[in-house]
Amino acid sequence: MNEQRRQVLQMLAEGRITPDEAERLIDALDREQPESSPGATRAKPRPRYLRVVVSSADNFGGDGPGRVNVRVPLQLLRAGVRLASLIPPQALSKVNAELNKSGIPIDLTELKPQHIEELIEQLDDITVDVDQPDAKVQVFCE
Amino acid sequence: MIPQLVTVRHRRPNGRSLPLYIPVLPVLLVLSPLLLLAVLAVLAACLTTRVNPVGVLRRSGQLLWALPGTRIEIEQGRTAVLVSVK
Repeated sequence: MNEQRRQVLQMLAEGRITPDEAERLIDALDREQPESSPGATRAKPRPRYLRVVVSSADNFGGDGPGRVNVRVPLQLLRAGVRLASLIPPQALSKVNAELNKSGIPIDLTELKPQHIEELIEQLDDITVDVDQPDAKVQVFCE
Repeated sequence: MIPQLVTVRHRRPNGRSLPLYIPVLPVLLVLSPLLLLAVLAVLAACLTTRVNPVGVLRRSGQLLWALPGTRIEIEQGRTAVLVSVK
């Protein structure tokens, strides 16, 4: 029950208004409700950008603190994934071999474009915050 | 939408900023002979590696079209570089 309706019933209980007046007030609230609610129930707009913000208090080369702020359209990630899906299998095998040599046992041939697209779709809700005394990393969609 | 303007701003340690505005379409027109050569080279590479050249061109176009809105800022002390694509 919303607050205004409760107030109307309270006034009725206290005898400050008649049942007819209470009914008219509640009817008026009902008429008002559909106009005010769509804004509240409207779906959240989908994020369009992936933001990566890195702040570092480290004083590299005596220049002072550093900051990196990158904003990438999610559409660009999708386009990149689609383009990367055209990499020929023999090239992927070579990359896999080099990754294995470097101690990263990932089979890129198992990474299908549709899986990566699904991953990007789910990026909307991602928020990564890494806080350290001398650095802060934030990854989120906006 | 194809990118229209790329802004590159470089702030030097002395605090002076050097903005560089690159209008993409005129630059593409000026470089079109080189672009044609690049496209031919990509087509040749696609045929050599047995990759669908139409797919490569289409997806490269999608990548180009998705660029507007990209913004990269890197600051280190008094030095900073900003690249923005609109």
